[in-house]
Amino acid sequence: MTAEATTLMLRYCDGDPGAFRELYALLAPRLLGYLAHMARDRAVAEDLLQHTFLKVHRARAAYVRGADPVPWIYAIAHRTFLDEARRSQRAIARVDREGEVPEVAATLTGQERAAAEDAAPRHDPEVAAAAMAALESLPPQQREAVILTKLDGRSIAEAAEIAGTTPGAMKVRAHRGYVALRKLLGGAA
Amino acid sequence: MSPNVPELDRLPGLALPPPPLGGALEAELSRLAPVAPRRPWRDLARVGGLSLAYAAALVVLLTVRRDLHGLPVWWIAGYGAAWFAGFATLAYLALVPRRGAVMPRWRTTGIAAVIVALGFVTAGLVMHPSAEGSIELGLARVHEGHGCLELGLLTALVPVVLGALALRGALPVGSRWTAAGLGAAGGSLGGLVLHLHCPIADAWHLGLVHGGVVIVAAVLAAALVPRVVERRAPTGSR
Repeated sequence: MTAEATTLMLRYCDGDPGAFRELYALLAPRLLGYLAHMARDRAVAEDLLQHTFLKVHRARAAYVRGADPVPWIYAIAHRTFLDEARRSQRAIARVDREGEVPEVAATLTGQERAAAEDAAPRHDPEVAAAAMAALESLPPQQREAVILTKLDGRSIAEAAEIAGTTPGAMKVRAHRGYVALRKLLGGAA
Repeated sequence: MSPNVPELDRLPGLALPPPPLGGALEAELSRLAPVAPRRPWRDLARVGGLSLAYAAALVVLLTVRRDLHGLPVWWIAGYGAAWFAGFATLAYLALVPRRGAVMPRWRTTGIAAVIVALGFVTAGLVMHPSAEGSIELGLARVHEGHGCLELGLLTALVPVVLGALALRGALPVGSRWTAAGLGAAGGSLGGLVLHLHCPIADAWHLGLVHGGVVIVAAVLAAALVPRVVERRAPTGSR
């Protein structure tokens, strides 16, 4: 995926819109999965995905020729999610103060528990649903660590680069996430 | 060792069918123009060259310190080389990513900025030779040296602004640490200018004011630069 993404990114920087579409087709499915797990809402995740690629488009001159664009694009997605979560937190704080109803989705801050229902489980639906619910109940940093290292198959170093933290901190987050999941799923295995 | 969670293997893969491109993206693509990707080494050369020229112009304009000829050559040369090395190393770390990466190494840059800043404060407090024409202010009058802090920050402004412009769009994460590195690089260049210009030679002034320029520049850059760096990168040619 890395070599293909690098080639597409170069063609895209050279002004080929088809390369951008191919890059989107290559990366968007996994990015959407990552964002859906983080946001816990498919519609919000789709919005965040569009924002992520818009940011990539506007920052494409920051790309370094020949470099792997995937961690950078994931980091932009990570940042887009964080910005949206903070915006939602502020909106909720405003509701608390002023009694207004925010237009932003409350799911980002854990107000709603909508799962990525489009993602059909492969084996046992009950176990998968329990695993999904347990994963979504983790704090965002632990959830992100488990998603990136387990579901997306990234190394600790790559996950740390995407999340803007140290490999040591990412390892601790992932470990705590696994421990919490093990406790939550104790009776579901 | 982390516990095994086999239930996670039952989850579907991370991939989900994405929606089609949105209207905003389609509109941007309809007027897509080629861009020149960032060239970190060229950015480093540009930031380094222009900053050094600016620093040299400041030294010429302000004149070199009057006690220069009486001071030990090893100290003038060695300390000057250290200031330059601080500037060059931090600018390199902040601007040039590791091979194959888009994002600069913000963690290494941040750690290096802290080491360089503390190193110069310590070095100033420990090594402070003086000669005929040198001025001693002492701790009680250290605040009178605020002009050096201002001159150091004025010097730091150029590398910080040029570096921030070069990094626009490249730092979705770690921007504060990279900015601190840029600020410390600029502060080191400010320290070099002060080293060649300022005749105040007591330990407190060298440590707290000249060394302090690195810390203040790093803190200010960390606070202000991310706003510039996180703005959209120019889509025209670079």
